[in-house]
Formats: sequence, C-alpha cells, structure tokens
Amino acid sequence: MRAVIYSKFDLCSGCNICRMICSEIKTGGTNPRLALLNLEKHGLVNRPVVCAQCQNAFCLKVCPVGAIYRQEDSGTVLIDGPKCTGCGLCAEACQINTIVMDQQEGIARKCDLCGGDPACVRYCPTGALELVALGGDKDE
Amino acid sequence: MNNGYFDKFLMIDLSSGNSREAVVPDWLKASFVGGKGYGLKLLYDLTPPQCDPLAADNVLMFMTGPLTGTLAPSMRACVVTKSPLTGALLDSYFGGSFGPEIKYCGYDGIIITGRASEPVYLRVDDGRVEIRPARQLWGMNTLEVNHAIKGELQDDSVKIASIGPAGENMVSFALISCEYNRQAGRGGAGAVMGSKNLKAVALRGSKPVKVSNQSKFLEDVALAYRELRDSPDIQDMTLHGTASSVPFANETGVLPRRNYLDGTFAGAVEISDFGQNKHLWLRSDACTGCPIRCSKVGYLRSGRYRGTVSDIVEYETAALLGSNLEISDVKAVTHLAHLCDTLGLDCMSAGGVLGFAMEAAEKNLLPQQQVRGHEIKFGSVEAAESLLRAIALREDGPGSLLAGGVRRAAEKLGAQAKQFAVHIKGLETPAWGPRGATGIALSLMTADRGGCHQRGMPLGEDLGGAPWQGRQVDRLAVTGKAEIVIHKQNYLAALDTFVKCDFGAFGISPATYLKLYHSCTGQSLENEEGLQTLGARIWNMGRLYNLREGVDPAQDTLPPRFREPLPSGPCKGHRFTRDDLDTMLDEYYQLRGWTEKGLPAEETLKKLQLPDTKNKFSFS
Repeated sequence: MRAVIYSKFDLCSGCNICRMICSEIKTGGTNPRLALLNLEKHGLVNRPVVCAQCQNAFCLKVCPVGAIYRQEDSGTVLIDGPKCTGCGLCAEACQINTIVMDQQEGIARKCDLCGGDPACVRYCPTGALELVALGGDKDE
Repeated sequence: MNNGYFDKFLMIDLSSGNSREAVVPDWLKASFVGGKGYGLKLLYDLTPPQCDPLAADNVLMFMTGPLTGTLAPSMRACVVTKSPLTGALLDSYFGGSFGPEIKYCGYDGIIITGRASEPVYLRVDDGRVEIRPARQLWGMNTLEVNHAIKGELQDDSVKIASIGPAGENMVSFALISCEYNRQAGRGGAGAVMGSKNLKAVALRGSKPVKVSNQSKFLEDVALAYRELRDSPDIQDMTLHGTASSVPFANETGVLPRRNYLDGTFAGAVEISDFGQNKHLWLRSDACTGCPIRCSKVGYLRSGRYRGTVSDIVEYETAALLGSNLEISDVKAVTHLAHLCDTLGLDCMSAGGVLGFAMEAAEKNLLPQQQVRGHEIKFGSVEAAESLLRAIALREDGPGSLLAGGVRRAAEKLGAQAKQFAVHIKGLETPAWGPRGATGIALSLMTADRGGCHQRGMPLGEDLGGAPWQGRQVDRLAVTGKAEIVIHKQNYLAALDTFVKCDFGAFGISPATYLKLYHSCTGQSLENEEGLQTLGARIWNMGRLYNLREGVDPAQDTLPPRFREPLPSGPCKGHRFTRDDLDTMLDEYYQLRGWTEKGLPAEETLKKLQLPDTKNKFSFS
C-alpha cells in the first residue's frame, strides 16, 4: 500500500493555506513559494500539485549519490539530507516541479508526507487534499 | 526578524526614479502597529498640508500589518493616500495575494511619491527594484495588463496591482485592482496611481514571514479557525458570500432603490445569492490564507452576456448597481460589475453616480439626456453600461460630468441636484439605509473616509436583534448609539493595523486577535481596552489629518435625501431631522472627547499621546 495525497481541483478555493503551512513547518516561516507543493491555475479552477510519491520516481533514479530512497512500508520517496549534495539533478528530473532547492541549506527538499500526517491535508479548509492509500500496485 | 515584521519600507520616488529602503522607526511600531496606523501617521507626516491629491507630492502607500502573509486567517493589506474624491484621508483594503507578497518581498510597506514623466510600472523582485516602461500597457484594462505583465516577465507567479482606463484618466473613484481581481475600491486610489503615471506594481518575493513563538502562534491560529468554523455568520458567508444580505436588507427596509429614494426592491431575490447561484456560481474562491472563501467564481451560461467570467457580485455591488438603478436582471448586474472591475471603477461609487445621473435625467437636469445613443433612465442596462464606459474614458458630456463623483456633478448642476446627491464628505454612501437605522446613520456621518460601510456600522444591533451590553437596541433611537459606534470604530481601526478582513472579524473574537498579535509579534496589547486605546489613537490621528486638510466638521452629516421620509417598507415614514442629527453628533463628540465643534480636545490628544494641535484649525 502506498500513501499519497489526492488533490481535488473541484474543491480547491485557491487559498494557499496548504502551501503556507507547508512552508511554516518545513522552513520555520510562511511563504507559499517555499512550500513543497504547488498551486496551478487552469481556466476556472485551481489545481494543487503534490508529490505523487512515484512508483517510477525519476528523482530517485537520477540522484548520483543515492540520497533519495523509498520507505519500505509506506512507499514514500524521501531525501536523506546529509547525503544530498545539492546538485539539483532531482529537481531537474521531476516533471511536476515538486522538488525545491533549499538555497540556505544547499540541499534538495521534497514532500515526506510529514511522516504520515501531512499538515497541508490537515489545514485544508475544503477537503481538496486527502491522504489516500493506493492498493493493487501491479509491479510490487 | 522573528516577529511578523520586516521593519523596512520600500520608498520609491517616481520623479527621480530613485528607490531606497527605510527602517521602520520603533516609535511608529509601538504607537501605530501597522496597516491603517502606519498609513495615517505617515500620511500626516509625509504630505504637505492641503496638497492636491493628484499632484506629485501626494503619497501612495501599500501597507501591510504584522499578521499579513502569516497563517493568521483572513488578513489583508491596505492602500493609504489622500483621496481625490473627498480631499480627506483614504484607507482602502484589499484581499487576494498582493498584500502578502509585499511581506514576502521583505517589506512592511511600499511608499510611492512623485510622478513619472511617462507611463511606467514598478517591478520588485525580492530586494531588486526596477522602474519599467509601460507605454505599451497604457489603455489596457485591469486584467489585461495583469496578464500582459506576466507575459512580459515570463512569470505567472508575480502578484500585480494595476489600474484600468479609469485610473489612467484620473476618474475620482478609480480603483486599484489587486491580484487577482480584488479591489482597493473606494475613494479613488486608482486615480492617484494614474496621476503618478504608474500603471502597475508587480511583486515577487521569496522571504518567509517568521513569527515570535511558532508553536503558540499555531495554537492561536487553530483557535481562530475553530471560531470561524463554529460561527453561523461565517457559515453563511462561506455558502453565500455577502450576496445573501440583499434579501436581508430588503426585508429590513434599508436596500437602496432609485438613488436611495426607497428602501425596498421587488427584484431583491433575483440579484441575491439565489439568482447568482442559479446563473453564475460554480465554485468558492478565497483570498490567500483565508478559510472562509466568501467569493464565488463562475461564468454566465446563457443570454446576452454569455461567457462572462466573474467573481461573486458582492452585496454592495448587487445593491448599488442593481436595486439602486432598478435593474433586477442578475446577469446584467454581473456584467456591469465586471465592467467596473475591468475599467477600474469602484462599483459602489459607480452605482451611486449612475443612480444620481438617472434621477437627474428624470428631472431634466442633465445638459445631455443621452449617452452613446441611449436614454439615461432607471432600469436601463444600456444606459448604465454606456455611462460606465463614458466615465472611465472621460468622454465629453455625461462621462466627464460624472467622472468627479456625485458631489462635483451636483455642484455643476445646481441647487436642485444637490437635494438628491447622495454622498457624505464626497464619498458615495454604501447600500445600507440609513433611514430606519440610526446607529448606521451615525457611523456613516462620522466615518473618517466619508460615507463608508466599514467604519463601525452596528448592523447586528440596529437590524439583526443583537444585544448591546445585555440590552436590546431600538433601531430608531437617536440616543445611546454613539457609544456603540465609537466602540466599533475603535475596535475595527485597531484590527486594521493587523490588517484584518471585515468578514474574519465576524467570527474571530477580540481575545483571539489579541493572542494572534501577541504570539506573532511578541508584543502585547493586554486586553480589549488596549485595542480600544490603539483604535482611538488612530481614529483621532485621522481626524487631525482631515481637519488639517480642511474637511469641515459640518460635513459630519447626512445628505438631504435621508431627511425625506422613507416611502415604503418596515420603516416607512422614517427620516432624520436636523435635531436628530445634532443630538446624535453631540453625544458622539462628547464621548469621543472632542469639543462641541468636533475638534479633538487637548486632554484627549494628550491621553492618546498624539501631537497637540491647539489653535491649529479654524472652523466656524
């Protein structure tokens, strides 16, 4: 079973609270630009773009130092901070731009689902973000 | 800075093209906190007395508060300047995402002086400031220019404040459109921006706002969220926005119809949340950091205006461009509101101005009874639309006559027109009575920026059965309202330093605001009395400014229309007499610690630690 955040554009109000709390928790201050998820405007709706915790994770594949790994039980794709050299290859490889380069620490950051209880999901006022368990992974 | 502030202003002089950062002085922060407080004090200090609002020496300020851009729910920012519509102070509040971005750029405020020699826009990228040519953007509407700048900068994430043709042409009630389609609407801030040849401000900031005590702050944020979630007023706001106030105002007899002649309207339901939900809305929309999501987004699916994408038509607009003009077609009202937003006209003043023009036409007082080939009359959508376009472009005829607002137009048309010129201190009044609601009347008469709905109107007490200190309030009483109005004016002025949104304040308690301020800044305002003192200091600061600018206290009054009896509704026959107004004002001045002529008394200023202005003002 893999845990992922499921994003519902039809319920999203565009309030950015998900990104504000993400940045607050991950950087110690609020600024949506520093969050580990994005919010894109498409036509009349807002679409939260969250890390897919890919089964075929490009970020993990391209990391030259093996700093990106998959947690066995949850399937969450994580970055080992001390190992990360900040080369940026993972951010370049991610096709939905959910890896952020932390300029101060000089390392890459990505969504770790807050260890299983994501703050963005907890703070979302409309239920546009939901933590779901995916089953039936064919290649497992 | 771990206290919600950045303690820096960005100062830009458009005349020289120079910019610099200025440290926010400690005394300013201690006495005036932010937002409205900073704005009014600096307006007093930075502008020469009685300057022309459209001259280079007027100052245009975008101000945030310590809670702007934090997780504290439902916060905004404001524009502060001298109003070209009223000649008085102007503080105009806006939601959306432009306000927080000022903070993310590392500033508590942006202060703009001078005038560019040709059209420009301002780009701020974190600490980098650039004044860029805007000749190619001049003439675009508020939203076109937003997209054009994003294209030019190849960045969809910049946050933009812009003016439309109305601002360029210095229409006295032109607005500033703030990312995205949230308006600093009232009082003509857009005209001030236009006078400076400033088409837009584009921001991009990557700095985090840090609070003093994060774990405590997040607890206080959670408390504020709970209060919002549990408030019936907020629940209604989430579902219906302010549009559900239309039937309420109609039932209580304070919904303007025919330029405020009457207080009820047969088409009220059609233009309310009911009609809008049926024809327009598809989803809820929120400002940055706000869980309430009082706005709605959708598009008109059928009819003449098919395809128009619009936000909710909020209460003031639905009433002033709808019932006040006797237009009950919700799609047409949506179209007019959208037109105001894109031309860059304040929907509220526009509704007041159009109502005035339609009545003037009815009375054969206009030099030209037609606009762009349409007869000017109540109920005519074509006339309304043509007037809006003609005003925004200052076309010869009705357009240029009305572009200065109701007060100036009435002065040109003569004594008879002044009888139905509905404004206070030059600001067209909001869509709330006030006949049949004396507390609302007093708050309008005494509002610092003129006839304004955001300065302590006791809506709940006057119309909603809410008790004041344990007792019921008589909606028609002329005594006992001053203490309610003053309390609310002070309270809201204090929260406007943070900078709160009015709707958040329907649900978040004073105690919780105090907690948020404390855990964010590390400073304390102690208790509700602390908020009252801060609010009173700001209110008196504003009064000193208005007096210095020559705003005669004789303008603390109601327009003649409200001295005529209300023709229908639950308060049929109610009107204000000269005695009513005097009685209410006397009580208000006394409780404010002002002289009977409306000047702040020396001891009042001393108590509030404001400068002594003895003998500085002379009004008869």
